[in-house]
Amino acid sequence: MSDKGNNSPISGEEGSAKREVSAGLMQYSPENLMPFGPVHPALHEPEYFKLILEGEVIVDAIPRIGFVHRGIERAAQDRTWIKNIYLFERICGICSFAHSLSYVQAIEGILQFEVPKRARYIRVIVAELERIHSHMLWLGLVGYWTGFDTLFMWIWKDREHVLDLIEAITGNRVHKSYNTISGVRKDLPENISEPIKREMAYIQDRIRYYRDLVSREETLVVRTRGIGKIDAETARKLCPVGPLLRSTGIARDVRTEDPYAAYDEIVPEVKTSSQGDVASLLTLRADEVLESCRLILLALEKMPSGPTKLTAPRSVPKGENAFHVEAPRGELFYYIRSPGGITPERVKIRTPTMANVLTATSMLKGYTLADVPVVLTGMDPCFGCMDRISVFEVDKEKQWSVRGEDLRQYGISHYKTKKL
Amino acid sequence: MVENDASEDSKKGMKVGGALGEMFRTAFQRPITKKYPFGAAQVAERFRGKLDIDPVKCTGCGVCEAVCPASVIQMVHTGTRKVGTREIETKRPTFDLYTCISCGQCVDDCRFEALRLTHEFELATVDKKSLVMDKALKVVN
Repeated sequence: MSDKGNNSPISGEEGSAKREVSAGLMQYSPENLMPFGPVHPALHEPEYFKLILEGEVIVDAIPRIGFVHRGIERAAQDRTWIKNIYLFERICGICSFAHSLSYVQAIEGILQFEVPKRARYIRVIVAELERIHSHMLWLGLVGYWTGFDTLFMWIWKDREHVLDLIEAITGNRVHKSYNTISGVRKDLPENISEPIKREMAYIQDRIRYYRDLVSREETLVVRTRGIGKIDAETARKLCPVGPLLRSTGIARDVRTEDPYAAYDEIVPEVKTSSQGDVASLLTLRADEVLESCRLILLALEKMPSGPTKLTAPRSVPKGENAFHVEAPRGELFYYIRSPGGITPERVKIRTPTMANVLTATSMLKGYTLADVPVVLTGMDPCFGCMDRISVFEVDKEKQWSVRGEDLRQYGISHYKTKKL
Repeated sequence: MVENDASEDSKKGMKVGGALGEMFRTAFQRPITKKYPFGAAQVAERFRGKLDIDPVKCTGCGVCEAVCPASVIQMVHTGTRKVGTREIETKRPTFDLYTCISCGQCVDDCRFEALRLTHEFELATVDKKSLVMDKALKVVN
């Protein structure tokens, strides 16, 4: 590994070409280096960011991943196909349904199963409910990191309505355990259509209000508009997925490009935004929630009758398959290979955060330390994240650590003195 | 493809206190949160809580052990019984409910409908052994 020169994995054109950046910690010396992570339950996939500061401005950010490798892919090789559904659901609490959906559909591809139509419609309903609750969680978190706690509490209060619906349908708020190979495990409960219609009307009403609020309220606008900006050209190079990509104006969505479940009949409208900053992510995600509400009502209306699952065999014939779904955070990819037996030979998972992490570091460049929480939340890593980071100032041989809460307070006070 | 034009939003102009109306409205509402330990918490009809077994219906076939993703269930040798002239080993399941993830796969796969998930969820305990369920063993013995 060469020590001198631009070996930043993201190779920003102006930022890193000017100064000598190298992999060794002490060779950053003219700048201030702030290691972000890794020994805290930081992000959805625990990550470590080397933030190189010049004064307060971030000139480069280098991610390093893989610190909390749980070995789930290896663990899957010792478990049967059915047991793995529950294992993969636990990769992520927010998009647990998307994980199991991608996995079971990959198996159904090898088995060449025709999943009952009613099961495919139910999958759409639960997947969209999950998208609503994930996006609302994120909208609330942006409120929290910008110091708008009231918004955070309001949105999370309204999110409970969605979680109650999910619990009524699947039996659990988070780990839904609803998918099985060849369909869904239970039919929709009786008399569920009336509560769904009622709650969707409520959510649509509230989200329209929040969408209006986030684009007008100065507290939020100052902290988000023009922050973490990324253009379509950079986005094409770095290949982000999901809302992060769509916020730059590129309309890519697995649901329309490669329809799965019943998305070929319930066609979503792909929402985009042209700004590419955190403010546009706010309005974009609000728009996607409204779109999800429309899809749920449409699926409920067109819901066919019939069985919801078939009898699946315990073993899967020899073969391999790859499948991708649009999880709330973006494209989620599964590859499975079966040796012809009751356990998989190999499972490979690519989660959306993995695809987005380079873009997030690129988004940080040129913004201040006070913007780090908002921009990193912008890519929707995971909640309960930044609870401790260490700050190094290399030239002063000084080191101290900052808790996530302190960084949040710092961000709020920074903008109070500067702009508000 | 629908473009949400943020520049249109910026024309509206920013102002502080756009949420004041909603703040006043919610300030005089009753609290949304429920004081849970002092009142009953409601769960959905399908809520998956603590696992329960009907020892009479259980035949000891062992399917639940085979499908459990969390290794909660172990089949235990309980004795022998005579079928005609042959002696056949009998087995019954024990449940280490402290590792149970309440997925309900065993309930789905039990042909004899011996298993069910209750609505009980207050399972915190200082004694791990209190979450070992061996009801089925006792009936046989």
